[in-house]
Amino acid sequence: MSDEQDSKVEALENLRVIRSLMERAHVYRSISAPAAIFGGSMALLVSAFGFYSNFIHISPSFREREFLFAWLILLLLTSALNAYLLAKDAKKRAQPFVNEGLRMALRAIVPPLLTGGILGVGLIWFERQLQLAALIWILCYGLALQATVGFAPKSLIRLARAFLITGQALTIWWFLSGGFGEFQRAEAPASLFLGLTFGLFHLIYGICILATSSTTKAARD
Amino acid sequence: MIDFTQLDKVIHEKGRLSIMTLLATRSPWSFQELKAELGHSDGNLITHLRTLTKEGYVRETKTIAQDSARPCTNYELTGAGNSAFQAYVRVLESIVRQTKPQ
Repeated sequence: MSDEQDSKVEALENLRVIRSLMERAHVYRSISAPAAIFGGSMALLVSAFGFYSNFIHISPSFREREFLFAWLILLLLTSALNAYLLAKDAKKRAQPFVNEGLRMALRAIVPPLLTGGILGVGLIWFERQLQLAALIWILCYGLALQATVGFAPKSLIRLARAFLITGQALTIWWFLSGGFGEFQRAEAPASLFLGLTFGLFHLIYGICILATSSTTKAARD
Repeated sequence: MIDFTQLDKVIHEKGRLSIMTLLATRSPWSFQELKAELGHSDGNLITHLRTLTKEGYVRETKTIAQDSARPCTNYELTGAGNSAFQAYVRVLESIVRQTKPQ
C-alpha cells in the first residue's frame, strides 16, 4: 500500500472517530417527560370524547372540522409546553435555548412532520378522510422521531418504533377491513387511532422517563 | 499534492483527538465525564489534558460541584483550540478528497 493510501485510511479512521464521538456526545431529548404526560393525557381525553360523540352517544357536536381543530389546538398547547420545558432545561445547564441539539432535532423532525401535517389537514378539510389522515399523522410522527436516531436517547427511539409499527399495522388492518365501514362515522375509529398512539404511547413514555430519572437521581444521592 | 506537515501532531494522537472532539461538542466537560465517555485511565487522561493545556488548546477551571460540594475540574476548548481542531478536520477532509480514485 502506498504512503498516500495509508494517509487516506488514517484520515478516514480519524474522521470516523470524530463523527462517532460527536454523535455520542450529542444526545438530545426533544420531548420532555412532563410535556409527554400532559399531551398524552389530553390526547386520551380528546380521543375519548371523539369516540363517545361519534359511536356511543351520536351527536352533531364533534365532526370533521371540530376533530381537526381539537387535535391542532392540542398540538399547539403541547408544543408550547414542550418548548417552555426545553428552554427551562437549557437554562439550567447554562446553554441557549436554540442550541446545537435543538437545531439537529429540528432539522430531523420538521420535514416529516410538515409533510404529515399538510397531508392530514388536506385529507380532512377537502376529502373528509379522517381515518387515513390519522394514520398518516401517526406514521409521519413516527418517521420524524426515527429521524433523530443518531442523537436521541433510547427511550425516544423506542417511542418512534412504537408509532411506526402500530401505524403500519393499523394501516394494513384499515385496508384489509375496507376502511372500518362498520363504524357509522369516521371520527370514531380516527379518535381511537390517535388516542392509542398520541395518547397512550406518550403517557407511557413520559411516566417511564420520570420513573427512570427519579431512580437515577436516588442512586446518585 | 498533500502537505502532511499541515496535520497538527498534538491533535493527531488518537487519545487527544478524542478529547478535542468531545470538548468541541459542548463545554465544559468535567474530568469524570471525559473519563466515563472515553474509558481512559486517570493517568492517561491527565497526561493528554496536560499536553493540550500546555499547547494552549484547552483551558482548565476548578469549581465546586453543586450536588456533592466536592471540587471538580472542568475542561473547555480555548479559541486557539477550536481553530486548531477545525483546521485539523479540514486537513483530514482534504487528504480524503485528494486521494480519491480517479
